Amino acid sequence: MSSHNLVVLLVLLPLFGVVFALISNRTNRPRVKTVLEWLAAGIGLFCPLIILWALLPVVREGSIAYTVGNQPQVLGIAQRFDGLSWLVDLMGFSSLAVVWIYTRGAGPRGGLFTTLFLIQTSAMAAMGSCADLFNLFVCFEVLGIANYALVALAEKPRAFFAAFNYLAISSASLTFFLLGVFGLYRLTGSLSYQGIVRGLAALPDGGTFQAQLSLACIVAASLVRVALMPLAGWLPDAHGSAPHAVTAVGCGMLLKPPLFALGRFLTELSSGGGRVSALVAPLWNVLGILGVLTALGGVICALSQSDVKRLLAYHSISQVGYIVCAWALASPLGMAAAFLHAFSHAIFKGLLFLSAGTAADAGNNRDVYAYRGARKFLAQAGDRQGITTICFCIAALSIAALPPFSGFAGKHGILHSLEHGRWQYTVLSLVGIGTMASMIKLGRIFFGTPSPAGTDAAAYRINGPIKLSMVLWAIPCVLFGIFAIPLGRFVGALTGAEHNPVPEDLFSASSLGKTGLYLLGAIVLYRLLMGRWGKDLSHRILDLPKGFYGLMAGFVLALCIFCAAFLAK
Amino acid sequence: MIERILLLLLFLAGFYGLIARRNLIKKVYALSIMNMAVLLLFIVEGGGLGSQMPIVDSAGEGQHYVDPLPQALMLTAIVVGVCISIVALTLIYRLYRVHKTLDCEELRERIHHE
Repeated sequence: MSSHNLVVLLVLLPLFGVVFALISNRTNRPRVKTVLEWLAAGIGLFCPLIILWALLPVVREGSIAYTVGNQPQVLGIAQRFDGLSWLVDLMGFSSLAVVWIYTRGAGPRGGLFTTLFLIQTSAMAAMGSCADLFNLFVCFEVLGIANYALVALAEKPRAFFAAFNYLAISSASLTFFLLGVFGLYRLTGSLSYQGIVRGLAALPDGGTFQAQLSLACIVAASLVRVALMPLAGWLPDAHGSAPHAVTAVGCGMLLKPPLFALGRFLTELSSGGGRVSALVAPLWNVLGILGVLTALGGVICALSQSDVKRLLAYHSISQVGYIVCAWALASPLGMAAAFLHAFSHAIFKGLLFLSAGTAADAGNNRDVYAYRGARKFLAQAGDRQGITTICFCIAALSIAALPPFSGFAGKHGILHSLEHGRWQYTVLSLVGIGTMASMIKLGRIFFGTPSPAGTDAAAYRINGPIKLSMVLWAIPCVLFGIFAIPLGRFVGALTGAEHNPVPEDLFSASSLGKTGLYLLGAIVLYRLLMGRWGKDLSHRILDLPKGFYGLMAGFVLALCIFCAAFLAK
Repeated sequence: MIERILLLLLFLAGFYGLIARRNLIKKVYALSIMNMAVLLLFIVEGGGLGSQMPIVDSAGEGQHYVDPLPQALMLTAIVVGVCISIVALTLIYRLYRVHKTLDCEELRERIHHE
């Protein structure tokens, strides 16, 4: 089978799995239902991992460009599968597979869930190899529709409302995306990335104003899915109320495929040379700045949260800021560093959501300030070995960027790609201190004298699949940290970076010393935060009004920022 | 030119409705109107070029086809738009069954105090 057929299979297999999931939805026999669901997941989630393994040697030699169905260029949809697509797909399929195992223990179960989950998987895989703007739009929409429904599976009014807000902001922004597509199509007569670059280069004036406005629309709409500030308002509400499994992928892994898909389009324009490169240059600068502000804003909001899941959701926004900082360097090295942190974030954030979510369910309490002694409730619920607590600690140490866990390597890669002495470097270091302090605050729920149990706490059970999924994520968290340098070399080779994105002196005395200093800073910050003054300030930030107007205002603001960036050039 | 201005007004009307209307069903209508404005823009602009039927064959190389792409794209966009409306209305229905209101601000208050 030729390599591009294998790439198409990555998109088609999850859809093929959907068939079995839908059949399982129609049967009433529990055993048949279970078998069909496993079959669906086997085809849609586990088989693609084998295909990815088979594709690795091909991808190492170069990218696979093809049109769907071998149609001639004029009719076909252009696709391109390269090293970065391979990496993003690996991150996606492995995360989704682990989370699917978790759902066997904790729910949501059933044919409907598996159907939506697999549709989401397929859209994620298709996004990885998009080289056509309209195809990207369809992928965004399909991924979105599956995601809104998955959030609503929590079956609570809060989740319905959050899903509706998420749907409204993201569909409204996608109409702007479509406008942007229209603008570029009108200028260049093409929808494929390469065609657009050729078309723009051929225009006598570079299509200045119309091209800029179209690009601003496309970038702002795509970044809604990435949850970059000021477009991130939907994320804490939607993922704070969704089922844990949906949050674990939606807040961890699923924010990245749209980012790298957009990155592929923008880098294609950047490499167009001359006027076309100059067209996107101001955009990269402003994205880099937004990345830093997102990292800072996200962590400030996270520090002030009292709900376990909302706290973690704000950390996702903050970490996305980190990733965007390196991504916006628009170099292969920056992309490699961004991917490394994206991958490590997908794993540790998924693990944080699963472990902290399990702890919150075991005591039926989600208040970071009030909940204590989760270890006791976890033991009562069936986790006598303390697996949940250990996994949480691994993930928390990882996000806090302490050695030798994966986040340490990821964040060092990002900081290494930005140069020393730049203001971004300083701000991101401060954000790191905030992240550590916030994890100390969250970690307190596991220890101390147990608080009174919630009403339904006794009914909750922690079973095999829940423990297995957490262990499956905890292992790479540690391994990626220890073997960060060879892993960085591998990622660098696949993305075409000139050298290793992870610094070779990762575990040197100076970087370990700096981490120690940050940790001290974090302890001081935590002390301040838990004082009367800190709690009062937290409460003020927490009470900032959030509503539909805020979401739309954020979008309009982002659109204005991108337009202003072009005008200021 | 007049059709572009009308479509812009239609788009802005949708955008205004989405922001200003408090009723969730009206928000969904507004979203559909926005979507429809963009869709019509593609059709209006796409139909103006070329004169030949767009049947590609090797003999007709260099002929002046009507560009079929905008219409093909919009077929997909219509399907996507319908799906969005269905999901949105389903969510609203589920909300209404619990809270017996469609006012987004009131819903936000009630859900906040849940």
